[in-house]
Amino acid sequence: MTTLDANRPVDSTGTPPVDNYLTFTRGIMSWIVTLDHKRIGVMYLFAVLASFFVGGVFALLVRTELLTPGQTIPGVDADAYNQFFTLHGAIMVFLVIIPSIPAAMGNFVLPIMLGAKDVAFPRLNLGSFYLWILGAICAVASLTFGGFDTGWTFYTPYSTTTTTGGVIPVVVGVFILGFSSIFTGINFVVTIHKLRPPGMTWFKMPLFLWATYATALIQVLATPVLGITLLMLIVERVASIGLFDPAMGGDPVLFQHFFWFYSHPAVYIMILPAMGIISEIISVHAHRHIFGYRFIAFSSVAIAIFSFLVWGHHMFTSGQSPLMNTLFSAITFSVAIPSAIKVFNWLATLYKGSISLNTPMLYGLGFIFLFTIGGLTGLHLGTLNTDIHLHDTYFVVAHFHYVMMGSALIAMIGGLHHWWPKMFGKMYNEKHGAIGFWLVFIGFNVTFFTQFMLGSHGMPRRYYDYQPEFQIYHVISTIGSYIMALGFFWTAYYLIASLVGGKKAPANPWGGRSLEWQCSSPPPHDNFKVTPSVGDCYDFSVVRWDEEEGGYVVDRDQDPSLKSAT
Amino acid sequence: MKQRITPFEDPRARTEAGVMGMLVFIVSLAMIFAATILGLVVVRIEDDGPWPPAGMPALPSLLALSTVVILVSSLTMWLTTRAIAGDRQVEFRRWLWTTFALGIAFLVLQVAAWSQVIADELDFDRHLYAWTFYVLTALHALHVLGGIGPMAVVVRHAGRGRYRADQHRGVTYLAMYWHFLDLAWVSLYATLVWGTWFRS
Repeated sequence: MTTLDANRPVDSTGTPPVDNYLTFTRGIMSWIVTLDHKRIGVMYLFAVLASFFVGGVFALLVRTELLTPGQTIPGVDADAYNQFFTLHGAIMVFLVIIPSIPAAMGNFVLPIMLGAKDVAFPRLNLGSFYLWILGAICAVASLTFGGFDTGWTFYTPYSTTTTTGGVIPVVVGVFILGFSSIFTGINFVVTIHKLRPPGMTWFKMPLFLWATYATALIQVLATPVLGITLLMLIVERVASIGLFDPAMGGDPVLFQHFFWFYSHPAVYIMILPAMGIISEIISVHAHRHIFGYRFIAFSSVAIAIFSFLVWGHHMFTSGQSPLMNTLFSAITFSVAIPSAIKVFNWLATLYKGSISLNTPMLYGLGFIFLFTIGGLTGLHLGTLNTDIHLHDTYFVVAHFHYVMMGSALIAMIGGLHHWWPKMFGKMYNEKHGAIGFWLVFIGFNVTFFTQFMLGSHGMPRRYYDYQPEFQIYHVISTIGSYIMALGFFWTAYYLIASLVGGKKAPANPWGGRSLEWQCSSPPPHDNFKVTPSVGDCYDFSVVRWDEEEGGYVVDRDQDPSLKSAT
Repeated sequence: MKQRITPFEDPRARTEAGVMGMLVFIVSLAMIFAATILGLVVVRIEDDGPWPPAGMPALPSLLALSTVVILVSSLTMWLTTRAIAGDRQVEFRRWLWTTFALGIAFLVLQVAAWSQVIADELDFDRHLYAWTFYVLTALHALHVLGGIGPMAVVVRHAGRGRYRADQHRGVTYLAMYWHFLDLAWVSLYATLVWGTWFRS
């Protein structure tokens, strides 16, 4: 069955296609040992969403505890609170945001976008997934060893001296998760290099692929540094001597250097693929050719390169030399350039576009709004003198939530809505989607915009107790978090409902042009029987709505960029 | 139903992708060693005293010997790949076995070096000088162990005549990794030696 023929509507008879990756083989074993990138992507997706639920519960516990100064929830003392925010941070960073887009969305979409049958190393891909599961189990098992209260950053000397027993299990877990991430990165780099279809040059790739490529490079180069740092941390905790132990001539600040050498790039591991999704969503749902393709592509690479040069901006107050501080501050500002280039190009793409304001687009626009706030407040923190005041306050918390949650996670949820019909072959209810978006969007801003004010008024982060004058902000912030939680539960509800009673999705519900919209929904087991020819993946002039099909079709014979190929 | 295990139709493209994947993997591992070396350099520069500190033994002289062994093993590994590329099976197996033996010899020498300094009371937890010696050599030895396993598999496959001039992916990947181990050791050893020369 070739699904590339635009004149023949895919599956218009209503009977389910025989060959679809969900029904291709049956039984639990066919999932456990699957080498199909789509199934691995879906398994990642559910694992990540489950972790998101757990991390979210801890977030709500933290917010609820902060409703009043001192103890709010009976039984939650300061030590329990320390564990809550640490678990919230560690789970959300290592188990949710880092794997969400590359491992879940990327695995599903990347090979199809390339017209390939799978990633370059399918076995390695499955291996990465199980490493991820193993790492996640270790991290969560730390709870049975007494938990850990180090904050997600595991700063020495606290992490080597704290009496909570879960530090080693969680650090081992993160170490294993790191290798999962490295193997995924290797797989994507090689896949993009070696499995592009004939005709798809680097500058004809969908921008999501540029973004995942840049991300994969960071994963491969930065994650090993975290790995060895954590290993040293374990050795030091066990043996009471190590590189970070000042009593023996070691240097605790060295840990911070190593940690941020990974963890700042890791921020871009989170945001770059999110930007890739947004480039797709904005262009497809505005039905307009992406503006400044090369600028967006190169700015992804530029951000990846800058990511390795700015880690010191987490350490302005660590006693590092003024010269270093100045250099790191200056390089940090230059990250604003490629970031702004992207925002400008998305806005220019929207300009005079024929915008379909459906759920993915709402998330896309939400991303631009939230990322702009997150990005601009980053300048306050990159500026040396204001950072001295704002360092370790709620201003920092608000800033990185705008970037990590308001941008990376919102883009992930936008991408989930964008590719949901492709993944499961069902349409969700658009109205329900819009309600979900507004709940999340409003809840998010109420929660975190308030925290900018908290922080600039001097409320330190990670504190259990606070002065009564801060209470009003904490109450507003907590109410926001409840609204957001409601939005996420609502989203989970209508997405699950779509699986049961949703309308059947056409191959191309949004009018996209990249290759994933040219195979049926859900895609067949091997994606494409014949490697498809590639046109300009952002030329929407040949895309038209087809009533009979119930979706968009691409008039491939009218596409000038395909003429030579046929 | 048969599950597809490779998206490549052309086996040559499969090998090219494998070589690239291996290369990226090695670059990733190299970052581990680069960070470790950098860490050593930092604590060494921040330490005012001499290395080894008074009362601690010098770096074991066996390390020089193991350096020679791993360098030679890299050479024999190169001869191994050259032989199989020319489809010279007997020569291929001979060099492969030699490399395997040298790899084991390297590990034996490292263990001997450890027992030498342990006998000389170089205590792990007394000074960062001792710490860096043990951690760095152990880190590298673990990577060598991680190479010996696959090499044993390659040796077995070679004995069964599985490799040909146009079909020896396993040998190629192994050789890449082995040369990396060689380079990593030379860098580590040079750093350890530098640590004992450095005066602040």
